[in-house]
Amino acid sequence: MASVSPILAADLVDLLSLEELTKTEITSVSRKSQNLANVPAAAFVISSDDIRRSGAQTVPDVLRMAPGIEVAQIDNGRYAVSARGFNGRFANKLQVLVDGRSIYYPTFSGVMWENDVIPLEDIERIEVIRGPGAAVWGVNAVNGVINIISKHSRDQQGGVLAPTVGTNGKGNLYARFGAAIDENTTWKLSAQGRHAEPSQFLSNRENAEDRLNNATVDARFDKKFGGGSDLSVWANALTSSLGDQMILEFSYTPPLRLQPFTYKQNTNSQSVGARYRWLTDAGIESSLQTSYQSTTMELDRYYKEDRSTFDIDYQGRYTFAKHDVIWGLSYRNTSDSMSTYPLLLTFSPSSFTQRTQGFFVQDDWTLIPETLQLGLGARWDYTNLGGNTFAPNATLMWTPSRSNTLWAKYAQAPRMPSRAEQSVSIFHTVVPPSPKMPMAIIMRNSANGTTLGAEKMEGVELGYRSQLTPTFNVDLSTYRYRYTDQLSGKATSYDPVTLFPVALIQNNTLCNCGNGWINGTEISSDWLVLPNWRLQLSYSWTRIDMDDSSNLQIDSAGKVNERGTPRHYGSLRSQWNITSNQQFDAWIRGSAGYDRINAPYVNLVRVPGYVTLDLRYAHKLNKDLEVALTGRNLIGQRRTEFVSDYLPSVPVEITPSLLLSARWKF
Amino acid sequence: MKSNRFQQLLRQIAVLLLLALPGMASHPQVSSEPQLKAAFVVNFLKYVEWPASSASTATICLFGRDTLGSYLSTYEGRLIGGRELRVRRINGPDQVAECQVLFIPETEDARVGVVLRWVDGLPVLTVSDVDGFARQNGAIALVRADGRLQFDINVDVLNRAGLKPHSQMMRLARQVIGTPK
Repeated sequence: MASVSPILAADLVDLLSLEELTKTEITSVSRKSQNLANVPAAAFVISSDDIRRSGAQTVPDVLRMAPGIEVAQIDNGRYAVSARGFNGRFANKLQVLVDGRSIYYPTFSGVMWENDVIPLEDIERIEVIRGPGAAVWGVNAVNGVINIISKHSRDQQGGVLAPTVGTNGKGNLYARFGAAIDENTTWKLSAQGRHAEPSQFLSNRENAEDRLNNATVDARFDKKFGGGSDLSVWANALTSSLGDQMILEFSYTPPLRLQPFTYKQNTNSQSVGARYRWLTDAGIESSLQTSYQSTTMELDRYYKEDRSTFDIDYQGRYTFAKHDVIWGLSYRNTSDSMSTYPLLLTFSPSSFTQRTQGFFVQDDWTLIPETLQLGLGARWDYTNLGGNTFAPNATLMWTPSRSNTLWAKYAQAPRMPSRAEQSVSIFHTVVPPSPKMPMAIIMRNSANGTTLGAEKMEGVELGYRSQLTPTFNVDLSTYRYRYTDQLSGKATSYDPVTLFPVALIQNNTLCNCGNGWINGTEISSDWLVLPNWRLQLSYSWTRIDMDDSSNLQIDSAGKVNERGTPRHYGSLRSQWNITSNQQFDAWIRGSAGYDRINAPYVNLVRVPGYVTLDLRYAHKLNKDLEVALTGRNLIGQRRTEFVSDYLPSVPVEITPSLLLSARWKF
Repeated sequence: MKSNRFQQLLRQIAVLLLLALPGMASHPQVSSEPQLKAAFVVNFLKYVEWPASSASTATICLFGRDTLGSYLSTYEGRLIGGRELRVRRINGPDQVAECQVLFIPETEDARVGVVLRWVDGLPVLTVSDVDGFARQNGAIALVRADGRLQFDINVDVLNRAGLKPHSQMMRLARQVIGTPK
């Protein structure tokens, strides 16, 4: 095979004229991931076509196709998404950026996926890079980085209207219009509204409280100047309303009873930003990006937060001889003001301005052209809530032939404890009365005034990519990481007075005192079985081993981490083009079971494994109109995918759904 | 005697196979995308006239993290339109003067504007598979459409660079931007 294809390649030129070339069908496995084919990292790219064909309605559901990314739906809007283990409602080791701006939420860590930061239709591609990325992307890019890249307004000309209706009161309406002012200047305006009726509780199938109402408006303006410089300006507003039910409110008369309480989470956010890219005569490419965002989040009477964030970021790039150097400087200022229901939680201080600045430099140095490349880089960050962090990174990439790439990577990555971890006091766990201990114990996490330091991670990773045949490729990666100074809790003092005679209060303080290992392997492969039928497989195996600790509480927190990650996770997608205007896609995906804390209690509860199926049939009626029928979660037992940790939300059922959608271009 | 006839048979089979191979290449017309792109890039050399093209070599330059290099290297040393083909990799502006064709892969789409500035005013044919390249002042964009590879051509850009496209090439283009002279 290897000896035949060069002959064919040469023949293509000798035998085929330009005219014949334009008529030749492409049958290779081709996708944008070739963008990342030469990167010494475990990278996976999701194209806009993959997004549409997945039938998913939200970004986290799309991310399920990427190896090494674990996605668990909590309710209609909330998701737990993590890379390489440590998943949670506030999964904190994954950095997520939209066009270079972090959407990692500074109050809690992690991403508030319920907010519909960007409509799926506006996404050009999603680059998923597992493994530490802190040397370029900074603090919190510990286990992975997800880069969501939006479509350029140049590629969003004209109008699109895309309505979707579905079972369980699901509805979605997307509309867009874009136009060119002149050949170098374009703009677009898009809007999306999304609604879902409440799910049902897993326990009793009564209606849950997670009614969802989301809306997003996004405007973008792009202008190209001569000499390789361009300007993009955007403005974005979103509003999200999503209910929830928790069990934590307790009666003040004995015996202790925990009562469910419901609340609505309302978020409003507006942002504006701009990016200017230019080139100096010396050949240095520069990009300056700045943005301002103002967010209000309210949980009825329990919690209200106002936050405003200003970011400015410079990146430069210079290529000379065998070096390709990028460097960057960034500054972020984020101010918050919290008001809370003090019986449940308090922030101390109640308002704070966090300033972060960082600097990085990275060089890709070609040692042997086309064969061997060495990458070296490091990043330094300083924040006034946690101090200095340093993240070095080294990679070696060997390409022995055009269809094989081997790479190795060593990196360190820090995670800075969030504002909440640094300063919240909250009741979170209840140990019910027992014969040994007749009074209930309520645990309160209390900030003790000392500032927590960064969590640290360091590890090695190996990867291999191969184009085995023109229609089959495979990508393997395996890693071993060491985590130190991970946040864990320690019991401090008893407070028998405040809630007497209902319960005792056990105070806990967070400390940088957890340590452990994680090992994993991921495989993804892409096979064009027939010119019109493609299969894509992804599979991950993950294992966490936390160190034993003589402190029982730290030890048990470690066990919770170990058992909280599914060992196996994977999916198989089939994309079949029946004819040029009909598609039929199937997606089997599954997860092994795992255990989570049954918040607000201390016991663990099993989240069973599952295998389920999505199907999608799409028919293009003419070049401007497509209709699609999608079924999601079609097989398997009634299930929950997640039991919320820390915040004691009552688990809801993930049920089958049918969706009918249309997409009309005008 | 027997061995001679056997050899003859083998030769016949070999000839049949050789006949079959080009037949396979042209009849089912299947090919991998980078292979096709490489074929396009080489073919453009035949359909464009360079000013004072007395040089005995034609150089195709590949910018940045390339995806075509290994496919193009199979053509290296061949005579295309009477000139010997060379393939070079470039990273900076000082190297573009020796290029007749400059290919910018889509992996480098963020840097298109920058690279185009390097070749401004030089007789270099820029080719790329970056989305909308011909509208961004690139000369020829390779476009994937309907399961085939096609190309858009910006004649204003070719004119400014002093390059003359053949009329046949203009006819085959999916889209011609600008006004032919």
